[in-house]
Amino acid sequence: MARKEKKDVTRASYPKLYTSDPLAEVEPELRARIAELENYIMKNCLWQFNSRGWDRRKQNAGILGKTAQLLAGEEVDTSTPLDKCYWVDAVLLARNFKERCAWLAGMGRDEIHALIAKLHARIDWLTIDGSLNEELTVQNY
Amino acid sequence: MPYHEFEASKCIPERKMHAVVKGEGEDLTSCLPKGYLNTIPGTISERGCAYCGAKHVIGTPMKDVIHLSHGPVGCTYDTWQTKRYISDNNNFQLKYTFASDVKEKHIVFGAEKLLKQNILEAFDAFPEIKRMTIYQTCATALIGDDIAAIAEEVMTERPEVDIFVCNSPGFGGPSQSGGHHKINIAWLNQKVGTVEPEITSPYVINYVGEYNIQGDQEVMLDFFKRMGIQVLSTFTGNGKYDDLRGMHRAHLNVLECARSAEYICDELRVRYGIPRLDIDGFGHKALADSLRKIGLFFGIEDRAEAIIAEEMAKWGPELAWYRERLQGKKVCLWPGGSKLWHWAHAIQEEMGVKVVSVYTKFGHQGDMEKGVSRCGEGALAIDDPNELEGQEALRTLKPDVIFTGKRPGEVAKKMRVPYLNAHAYHNGPYKGFEGWVRFARDIYNAVYSPMHQLTAIDIAKDDYATDQGFVTRRMLSDANLSDEAKASPLTGYTGKFDPIAAIRAKTDADYPVFAPKAATEAAE
Repeated sequence: MARKEKKDVTRASYPKLYTSDPLAEVEPELRARIAELENYIMKNCLWQFNSRGWDRRKQNAGILGKTAQLLAGEEVDTSTPLDKCYWVDAVLLARNFKERCAWLAGMGRDEIHALIAKLHARIDWLTIDGSLNEELTVQNY
Repeated sequence: MPYHEFEASKCIPERKMHAVVKGEGEDLTSCLPKGYLNTIPGTISERGCAYCGAKHVIGTPMKDVIHLSHGPVGCTYDTWQTKRYISDNNNFQLKYTFASDVKEKHIVFGAEKLLKQNILEAFDAFPEIKRMTIYQTCATALIGDDIAAIAEEVMTERPEVDIFVCNSPGFGGPSQSGGHHKINIAWLNQKVGTVEPEITSPYVINYVGEYNIQGDQEVMLDFFKRMGIQVLSTFTGNGKYDDLRGMHRAHLNVLECARSAEYICDELRVRYGIPRLDIDGFGHKALADSLRKIGLFFGIEDRAEAIIAEEMAKWGPELAWYRERLQGKKVCLWPGGSKLWHWAHAIQEEMGVKVVSVYTKFGHQGDMEKGVSRCGEGALAIDDPNELEGQEALRTLKPDVIFTGKRPGEVAKKMRVPYLNAHAYHNGPYKGFEGWVRFARDIYNAVYSPMHQLTAIDIAKDDYATDQGFVTRRMLSDANLSDEAKASPLTGYTGKFDPIAAIRAKTDADYPVFAPKAATEAAE
């Protein structure tokens, strides 16, 4: 396995995506559904809490992106070790979502992608853009 | 921000930002205490130093190593045998500790010569041990002793030995967490990649952030072996020095305690492309999901499912027995760093208790993010508490039991609050399906023990019944249960006093041999 020596210190200055809660204007019924999913993640998962903001951005996108694909019955890329690692967390998440949220079964592919995109925005807000954690922008691990 | 100000700390106004109460509708964007900052002068912290974090938490659990502190003997004495990270080589690392015994004259004239003499004497005293770690301390860091140069000199003179130098003096960070960081990166920079390990399985992991408290690592390794997975190294509990030099050849880093060991996982990901998978060995659901994830990664989930089914059939009903009897019991979850989030949700879901407070001595805000998320509303979250704050919280919250370290634990006992050791356990291991039931058993005994209730009586002053003898389980914990629960033939935990002996007695013949999977099948 090749060893990479150069460290990307610019990664700490990642751009903000949200300046306020992206779900503030979402209708209550949809908001409640997203809250169910959010609650499961925040109580049971650890992947959203890697120590740096740039890393959390990658984690959230990698795992929630693949979760949406799994829920929508689409093919998922597992060609690299990192992709496979995102995928295993996504598989567990999709299974637990389906087990707990029967209403997911009635949703079409586009609806699922739209739902998980909103969930993704909310998790990004909680763990990165709206986070009070002052260590997210530290350059080193 | 729902900050909580302790009466005891009104004279230290900065402390207010280190405690929050999670109110209705609060989330992490409005409710998070400060963390990983220098302890405020005037507050008596429960933290350890960066030397202690490097040596005591991470370095010393390595089992086949002479662990030598370069400094006053007190530094090593105070970090010796204070945590039960056992090993399967007769606990060499727990039995022996080494110090160069620096005194005032060495501060004036230098202590490098003394260090070299100590290194040679230690190797001569234990000729079967060829590996050593040396820990810098405040005194020798301040006088500028060059430990690395001395170590190089010895390795040149004795090519059969290998020495790791950890430059993490006590002042090297706000708490022991600074030392965790330093030793993670130092090990990676100095030692990883210097040994090429033998690969014996298509499924190879490093098990990281696991310290074998009362046998936790051995329980988890047993699961991995039953799945046909090769554990290249454990960082660091029951781990071997040379195994840890070969970490770069793993396919996956499986991370338990992110607080103490995420740094090496993250850097192994950046430098060698090895992915990091966070798992939870505590809790039946969390552990089952963790084994499933590792199984999925390697395409062997069926092996994980077989273990889960077997273990849950055995231990699930016993955990349920305790859950019925622990419903609603109030818990203060006050560990060092990671257990506040490893345990907060799992003990509420699977044991029925209510976490009324979490605290962390050396955790970062990232740990509090996980802990606050996993608590319910009304929970009091405290960063780096002092003793008076702890006492005030106990008086206010009136918990039925507290999980913490032995120093605050003794204070809690004096306040008539039963205490369980969150760091070194009472009757662990607590990891694994059986271990989680052992933890429930310890909680049950702590909450209901008649001994604790008797300690609340001052026999010099209080009236107390002299005609009542020992109180039974049925009177204590079963009085309000349903008839069905009362009629259950179960009686709680049925395992052995020492569950680790049976694991150690296993040989390769006791583990299944799997036919190699086709490459395409394994990749699916």
